[in-house]
Amino acid sequence: MSANGFLPARAGHLAGETRPGADAPLLAIDDLRVDFHQGQRVVRAVDGLGYEVGRARTVALIGESGSGKTVSSRAIMGLLPPTAHVRGSIRFEGQELVGLSEQELRPLRGGEIAMVFQDPSRSLNPTMRIGAQIVETIRMHGDMARPAALDRAAELMELVRLPAARERLRQYPHQLSGGMRQRVMIAIALAAGPKLLIADEATTALDVTTQAQIMELLHDLQRRLGMALIMISHDLGLAASFADEVLVMYAGRAVEQAPTRKLFAEVRMPYTRALLDAIPRLENPPHASLAAVPGQPPDLAAEHVGCPFAPRCPDASNRCREAAPPFAEQEPGHLWACWHPCGVQAPS
Amino acid sequence: MAPPADITAVPSVLEPVAVVPAAGRPRGRLRSLVGIGVPSVLLILIFGLCFVWPLIGPVPPPTGGNILNSNLPSFSPGHLLGTDATGNDEWSRLLYGGRASLEVALAVNAIGLVLGGLLGAVAAYMGGWRDGVIMRILDVLIAFPSLVLALAIAEGLGPSELHAIWALCFFSIPAFARIARAATLRVREQNYVVAAGLSGTGHVRTVLRHIAPNIVPQLITFAFLGMGITIVLEGALSFLGLGIPLPAPSWGNMIAQGEGILSAAPKFTMLPSAALFITVIAFNLLGDALRERWGSR
Amino acid sequence: MSSSASAPLQAPVRGVQAGALSRVASSPTLRFIGRRLLTAVPVLWGLTLATFIVMNALPGDAAQELLGASATPAEIHQLSVKLGLDKPFITRYLDWLHGLVTGHLGTSLASGQSVASILRSDLPVTFELLAYAFVISLGIAVPVALLAARRPNGIFDRVSMVLSMAGLSLANYILALVLVYFFAVKLNWLPALGWAPPDQGFANNIKYLTMPAVSIALSLLCFYARLLRADLVEQMREDYVVTARAKGVGQWRILLRHALRNSVFGLITVVALNLGTLLGATVVIEQIFGLPGIGHELLSAIGNRDVPVVEGTVVVFGVITVLANLLADLLYATLDPRVRYGTAG
Repeated sequence: MSANGFLPARAGHLAGETRPGADAPLLAIDDLRVDFHQGQRVVRAVDGLGYEVGRARTVALIGESGSGKTVSSRAIMGLLPPTAHVRGSIRFEGQELVGLSEQELRPLRGGEIAMVFQDPSRSLNPTMRIGAQIVETIRMHGDMARPAALDRAAELMELVRLPAARERLRQYPHQLSGGMRQRVMIAIALAAGPKLLIADEATTALDVTTQAQIMELLHDLQRRLGMALIMISHDLGLAASFADEVLVMYAGRAVEQAPTRKLFAEVRMPYTRALLDAIPRLENPPHASLAAVPGQPPDLAAEHVGCPFAPRCPDASNRCREAAPPFAEQEPGHLWACWHPCGVQAPS
Repeated sequence: MAPPADITAVPSVLEPVAVVPAAGRPRGRLRSLVGIGVPSVLLILIFGLCFVWPLIGPVPPPTGGNILNSNLPSFSPGHLLGTDATGNDEWSRLLYGGRASLEVALAVNAIGLVLGGLLGAVAAYMGGWRDGVIMRILDVLIAFPSLVLALAIAEGLGPSELHAIWALCFFSIPAFARIARAATLRVREQNYVVAAGLSGTGHVRTVLRHIAPNIVPQLITFAFLGMGITIVLEGALSFLGLGIPLPAPSWGNMIAQGEGILSAAPKFTMLPSAALFITVIAFNLLGDALRERWGSR
Repeated sequence: MSSSASAPLQAPVRGVQAGALSRVASSPTLRFIGRRLLTAVPVLWGLTLATFIVMNALPGDAAQELLGASATPAEIHQLSVKLGLDKPFITRYLDWLHGLVTGHLGTSLASGQSVASILRSDLPVTFELLAYAFVISLGIAVPVALLAARRPNGIFDRVSMVLSMAGLSLANYILALVLVYFFAVKLNWLPALGWAPPDQGFANNIKYLTMPAVSIALSLLCFYARLLRADLVEQMREDYVVTARAKGVGQWRILLRHALRNSVFGLITVVALNLGTLLGATVVIEQIFGLPGIGHELLSAIGNRDVPVVEGTVVVFGVITVLANLLADLLYATLDPRVRYGTAG
């Protein structure tokens, strides 16, 4: 069997410039709310989030830490701690996932939906051989004898371009470099041929060169295997290179969403603009100070009136502080939540 | 090497309970209040009964009983729990026995806390070869099963309450010293001690003003666990006839006396055993709850 | 990791790296063993000296103890000379130390038997007792910890942790007497006293050992259960457990295949460390159940001021403690791949 032979190319078409929703959505999230109960404090980590992911599409969730991007993606797989209360709707191929039991979720986890995490040095079991960790997923989701599963694991290792795949199967995670570990994580994620891969800051813990390699690999695999990909990042630059659709999150809500080109051509939300300005550029003079988004994200346990970004927003007006702008499709395919969008004449 | 200590191992045994921090959730706070309150009330009761009640209540003397009153059953008039084979009031022996056990445990832990705490703090504060020498000596003491050492010393000195205290100090001083040393090393890392050193504060002053307040809570928390351990050890010494000598009562020697007539009159074994067990568990629960609350490790 | 169980995990890693013998031995394991044994020598030597001083400082000597209170001073002096007790303290210690180095542990002042033969007959009893106790405690502690860690703060967790606290607070001699009362006196199932060597039938042997072993095992059991449960709970919060859940692995399998695998190394270390320290418990338990083990021997030797026997047991205890320490670290280093391959991940 060749490396790409056994993994069925699911959706035949490559991601083109089709509008989202043209496909029957693989994943549809609607009005997702996640609360964490800590004593009397209730932290609203995700507050009315909704988006769709089409088959074989790449959606980027962008935001600072604490914006709810990780929590919302873990909610999809039911991986949140028991203190989390999830409401709203998450439909995967039409099946409602919110409210499913652990038992009902297990075939989906790793089988239909897989996840790659931020820190590959902590996400692999330090005391299990690489091979055993891949085989575990294979055998969990398919009836396969151990030797055959090991063969498949080796193929997966080749698929993620790890050299000397056979020998590596007998190694332990700490014997590999960070980039190699992340490749192993990806191999584990691909083991059962999922339809949706969630990459949660999958490159953040890696050095820049490795980051690019891993991202290229993910992108390439996604195309070849016809998976949908949700890439979670704080880096708009990465999203610009790889995503079909970008969703910017702030304080647990979506604040701007558009096809990638459209978004970068016409940024509407000042927060997105601030994130974009925070990307270091080659053309900047050396030692130019990096512009970070000024200020702190809001306390998610407190009640908010108005736009949550207002305290940090250069364009904020009284209106912003009094009423939260709705998140709505204001131009075809382009949604945002802002009273004073950039580059648009303020309505009367 | 890292010598194991049967004694210092015990706090780490108890430590696991503190994994889930209780603070925050109201239910957790209530639970931690109960966790501290219940054993505290229990201990106040035990101390009151052993130390105060014999002074103010109708408690006959624990020794010198009349042989004519021997082996009275429980709930006899004037003898709540009856009398033993020599006519001594069992209830009174239980209270005075507890008093002896608690006195020994208090003394051993007080000495351990002060001397051991000082030794450990000084060793860690000075560092270098002095630390090495002090810790090596303590290693020798800790490498040895403490009960065996206590046995040898108690046997040599002859059984008495004071000698039991000396013998058990060989356990408590090294145990406290190790905890104090570890805690001091942590404090030492912190900036304000460095700052105090730079500003020319004297060593004694630095240890007393800056280090002591930071390590004392941990030592006191350990002292509660240490009380439990010491009561058990003292019981073992007395049980083997090397602790508090008869006819004076202690829980340990009462259990040993009872062992001889276990089949005929289990009461004389079970009563002091139960008293010892309840006291030890109260100390353990309290020490555990305190550590959980103070978050000291 | 910050749990108590992980504390001993850290030490051996550091120990492997530093080494004065690095130029001598190229194998890290040998270097490690050598280093540990070298540092153990002063501790062992200190132990023997301390014991000698303590035994010497005690009032009375073996001659007096052997002859009893009715002996005349002349008789006592005669026996003292015969036993060599009239020589100065330092001479006696150096003589004894010389014997130890050349492999002679001396002879008992009380019985005239060689200390080596006394140890040979006593040690197997104690070892069997401890082995039995370890089997009981681990056999129960591991399943209990797994069940408790499956739902932290769940009903099983709460109940088992409260019970284990009670078990830790129960002195072994109290448990021993309670067991004797119920199983020997009331039910007459098990003998309250005595010993049958294993060559007279294993069943009989186990019958005599069960109550002593349970008396020692209960506190160990509670100790291990709490330790393992805490470490498992901590492991279950690790990222690799989230990965396992994301792979679709079920709760039990995660506990057994993932978390336990990582916790077990700490447990092994603690078990090995306990071996040395448990000898203290055997003194009391062997006394209660009349087992002819080393603890029993030590107690009577202390009473008789039988210095060679006391010293012999102390050396054995010390060596066992040191070896148990070493064994713990080696087991840990052999079993845990993170340590085995040098770099801790």
